[in-house]
Amino acid sequence: MNKIFTIIKREYNTRVRTKGFIISTVLIPLLFLVGFAIPVIATLMNSEKPQKIAVVDRSGHIFSKLQSVFTDTLKNGERLYGFFQVKAEGQGLNAVKNQLTKEVEAKQIQGFMIIPVDVLDTGKIQYYSKNVSNFSVNERLSRGISGIVNRIRLEKQNLDPALIHTLTKGVKLETFKVTRSGKQQKDAGATFAVTYILVFMLYMAILIYGATLMRSVLEEKTSRVVEVVVSSVSPFKLMAGKILGVGAVSFTQMFIWGMTLFLISVYGVGMAASLGAGNVLAKFHIPPLDPVVLLYFFLFFILGYILYSIFYAAIGAMVNSEQEAGQIQTPIVMLLIIPIMLIIPVISNPDSTLAVSLSLFPFTAPIIMFMRISVLMPPVWQIMLSFVFLGLTIWGSIWVTARIYRVGILMYGKRPNLPELWKWIRY
Amino acid sequence: MNALEFQSVTKNFGNVRAVNNLTFSIPSGSIYGLLGPNGAGKTTSIRMLMQIILPDSGVIRTFGQDQNNGYLDRIGYLPEERGLYRKMKVKDVIAFFGELHGLKTSEVRKRTNFWLDRFGLADWAERKVEELSRGMQQKLQFIITIFHEPDLIILDEPFTGLDPVNAQVVKDTILEERKRGTTIIFSTHLMEQVEKLCDRICLMNKGRAILEGKIQDIKQKFGKNHVIVSYKGDSGFLSDSSIQSYNDYGNYVEILLKPKADPQELLKKIVKHAEVFRFELVEPSMHEIFIETVQAPGGDKNE
Repeated sequence: MNKIFTIIKREYNTRVRTKGFIISTVLIPLLFLVGFAIPVIATLMNSEKPQKIAVVDRSGHIFSKLQSVFTDTLKNGERLYGFFQVKAEGQGLNAVKNQLTKEVEAKQIQGFMIIPVDVLDTGKIQYYSKNVSNFSVNERLSRGISGIVNRIRLEKQNLDPALIHTLTKGVKLETFKVTRSGKQQKDAGATFAVTYILVFMLYMAILIYGATLMRSVLEEKTSRVVEVVVSSVSPFKLMAGKILGVGAVSFTQMFIWGMTLFLISVYGVGMAASLGAGNVLAKFHIPPLDPVVLLYFFLFFILGYILYSIFYAAIGAMVNSEQEAGQIQTPIVMLLIIPIMLIIPVISNPDSTLAVSLSLFPFTAPIIMFMRISVLMPPVWQIMLSFVFLGLTIWGSIWVTARIYRVGILMYGKRPNLPELWKWIRY
Repeated sequence: MNALEFQSVTKNFGNVRAVNNLTFSIPSGSIYGLLGPNGAGKTTSIRMLMQIILPDSGVIRTFGQDQNNGYLDRIGYLPEERGLYRKMKVKDVIAFFGELHGLKTSEVRKRTNFWLDRFGLADWAERKVEELSRGMQQKLQFIITIFHEPDLIILDEPFTGLDPVNAQVVKDTILEERKRGTTIIFSTHLMEQVEKLCDRICLMNKGRAILEGKIQDIKQKFGKNHVIVSYKGDSGFLSDSSIQSYNDYGNYVEILLKPKADPQELLKKIVKHAEVFRFELVEPSMHEIFIETVQAPGGDKNE
């Protein structure tokens, strides 16, 4: 047992101290944080200035109502929109326009608008500003003035605006996620985003750390150091130690990444709100990551990693170079890619026969079952059965791969073909 | 007591019989030469001893006991194919293998300084293995082999790649270890080393032991029918009827006489044709024994 621990310690220490590991471990959570913080920061940075807008109201209907409609305030309580009227009579419209254009350029006002005489019929208003692509201002002006114009139109027809508003009220679709426990929670599709992130983390981690282990085995083989190592520890213990050592490295990374995601999802919204940007994130509606889902994430990660890593270890022992390893690992990579290609059908229909059978098949189970769990909790017996199958497959695979490993690490030269591999297993 | 015993050990790889009914024993505290041409089954035998592979039949006893897990820590193995973790620091590599052999961290630190000093590597303790020259890596690997003070040391070609100075340090260390009571197995092709260092040998060919025992006994068995001749002039005498075979080394010729041939008669013949500087009746060198035995029809047979 001590020897396995010595192997684990070496694997862990030499890997965790590399620059690559430290950078990627810190960088990914940083990316999560940045992705999350951008809308928050954007809101905080966007220091809204009071919009001083000149109005040339040639219709005579609109200006008087503007201030009562545009009641938006800034954070400090000041009014966001300030309107003042400019009369065009006597000077001619062009002269007024020129004058106001100069004021806009001098930043004395943010913009001016010209409301034509026949605005009620044409429904058109001209707005001049330095920044006409500020959508929030444009949209707000358009909506506000439309309201005023509609109101006047209705009143002209002797209709009650309040009544019309009630009668023409639209229908809003609210979506709810139904979970097995019977709870219903409001869902805005963000569950899928979190599932995507976690599934990809699972896939990448198994793939990357499986390959890391393979390279590590191959390196010991090509540098011939393995012969010294197996003269004091059995090949099986060496293989176990290496799998657990690299596994501990990857678990360290996954734990840091997973917990960052978890903390952001749970506390991020609250923190953003306390900074005064809560309303922005409310739109995104990030659901807090369920700790149970997170637990399953780690469980399936560990089992998936072990299952695939024992095959990667055997491949590393069979080959003599990275190129050879690249060819021979294709079937393994294919097995890992299948669940990723099926992410859409499984997420949209997590109880389908396809999803259920793939979530029980050991080689796709870690990713597919986790997908199902994070979308719609499957019956407990299915999860348990999936664990049992995984466990049995790992047990059987170790029996086979340990034999290949034992022979392979000391065999140089030609890569074995299948009959030779069979011989190795029986040695 | 014997440090190691092989009794009728056989190992097959598919249709190839790598080791065939091998029997030999190594007394404690001796230096034992395990010899043989490439592919004779030496490495397979060593790997079976290290429990890396298991024999198909036969018994291997180490330190008087049947194989169990405990004894591996009492063995130090320097394989022919050298290799270390290139990216690790010298002292970390030593610590790793030390701990792998069950040493405590404090003990590891103490011994590390001693051995690095002894082999002139003290300044390299913090460097990565890949920064070391080939000779230094050889020395480092040798340190790792004997670091845990094993009772049985297996050295496969320990002197290759070492300059005479370092080879001397390694040789001295081997002899010191022997004084401590350590048993040493020496696998090499360099027969001079064998002759200088070994007490006993086992000559293997095609998986079998074809010659086993004390070097003195083996040499006596081959008898004093070898002649070393150093001469200048006509080499025609080499085809004389009293000569069974000869081996021309350039500076001298080693001649194997036919049984019952008289060396004095041969000397007379040579003097007629050539100028003789040296004419010495000797025991056969291990080199000659090696070649004769391996090439003899009996040494070549497979079953």
